[in-house]
Amino acid sequence: MLDWLRFVIAALLILGGLCFVISSVVGVYRFKYVLNRMHAAALGDTLGILLIVLGLAVINGLNLTSCKALLLVVLWWLSSPVASHLISRLEVTTNQHLEENMAVKTESDPHEEVES
Amino acid sequence: MAKQRNDYENSWFPRLQRWIAQGGTKLNDQMTAELSEASDAHRVLSADDMARREVEQAVHQMEIQEHEAVLYEKAHEWGRTKGAKLIRAFYAVLAVALCVSVIAVLLTTVSNLPSFGGENNPINNEVSQRYIEKGLQETGAVNIVAGMILDYRAFDTLGESHVLFIAACAVMILLRLSDSGDPRQLSRERMEAEANDRLYEPKNDIILQRVAGMLVPIIMLFGIYVLFNGHLGPGGGFSGGAVIGAGLILYLNAYGFLATERFFTIRTFRAVSFIALAFYALAKSYSFFCGANHLNSGIGLGTPGDIFSSGLILYLNIAVGMVVACTMYAFYTLFRKGDM
Repeated sequence: MLDWLRFVIAALLILGGLCFVISSVVGVYRFKYVLNRMHAAALGDTLGILLIVLGLAVINGLNLTSCKALLLVVLWWLSSPVASHLISRLEVTTNQHLEENMAVKTESDPHEEVES
Repeated sequence: MAKQRNDYENSWFPRLQRWIAQGGTKLNDQMTAELSEASDAHRVLSADDMARREVEQAVHQMEIQEHEAVLYEKAHEWGRTKGAKLIRAFYAVLAVALCVSVIAVLLTTVSNLPSFGGENNPINNEVSQRYIEKGLQETGAVNIVAGMILDYRAFDTLGESHVLFIAACAVMILLRLSDSGDPRQLSRERMEAEANDRLYEPKNDIILQRVAGMLVPIIMLFGIYVLFNGHLGPGGGFSGGAVIGAGLILYLNAYGFLATERFFTIRTFRAVSFIALAFYALAKSYSFFCGANHLNSGIGLGTPGDIFSSGLILYLNIAVGMVVACTMYAFYTLFRKGDM
């Protein structure tokens, strides 16, 4: 019974992680602009990895190997957002036509309509 | 008395005096004459004369230039026409001869090798069996691969680490900026490089600095662990050195050259690379010069599984790791700024 419970929890976790990874891959291929693509890619790097490693740790039980895997998650969560932050800063400083890709339409802003 | 005086007048010293005095007057006369001639020649020229002289001089120079051009043509015609053909043919013949000789040497060597995959080849029975069965006993390394690359075939690994060092030297020759000669003053190239360094990329990014402050010590510790653990498990000089080099590069990215120059300049690179390679060469080339007969290194093999075991392997791992880390860092800095 406990083994079944453990298996089901691990499978759910891993499947959830896979969902995030797949959606991030789809986003990387579907989005046209760098910042959008990075936004999509960050999903798989953070939540996808976390859920998959948690699932593996649940299957494996709490021992040194799963602790190492969780340490890996810490490393990913520290490094991946910083790397995407640096790439996005580089994009913002080098792209001269930033507004074309990130047009903010103030006319149809719902909050302004409510206020007026 | 008079005769005596006469004698004195005719002796050698007064004669010398008289001769000098006469010579002096003669010289004076000549000089004044020459001066008067020269002043005569320097009389005021008319404009026509000046123009005529200039034209004469120009024509003369043209003649000289034409004559020199003809001489130059004569001297270099051979080199440009027949000589070039000859040298080109010589090059072609030499290149073909070199290639053919190398091919011949290689083919004869290959034809003398044992046939591929034969079951009696030495590599299929003796060597690997010896490595697997006696590796732990002879080298003291639990990790058989470390025992192979740093004990049985340490000379090969010495060549590999020298390849890394030579690659770093070549990049340095090509990319390193010139010094100004004055140590207090930066050369112009170097100042331009400082100004152009990271023109668009973020400098002193606070997020990167905080994360690097957390990660760099862990990365360094992990690299040292991999380096020191090479003979006990997966790891060794090359991988540990790569990890340490990556940590250095991350530190440089976060804090800039001012922070890394405190502990890693080109002098550090030179010293560390030289000491590591020289230690390796001294420690291992003796087996090459002794016809691959191992002498006793004086360091005991110790208990297999301990950190300080397996003789020289640990120290050789550290040397290789230092070289690899220095080379990685040097590549990064040279390609980024042109200096360390």
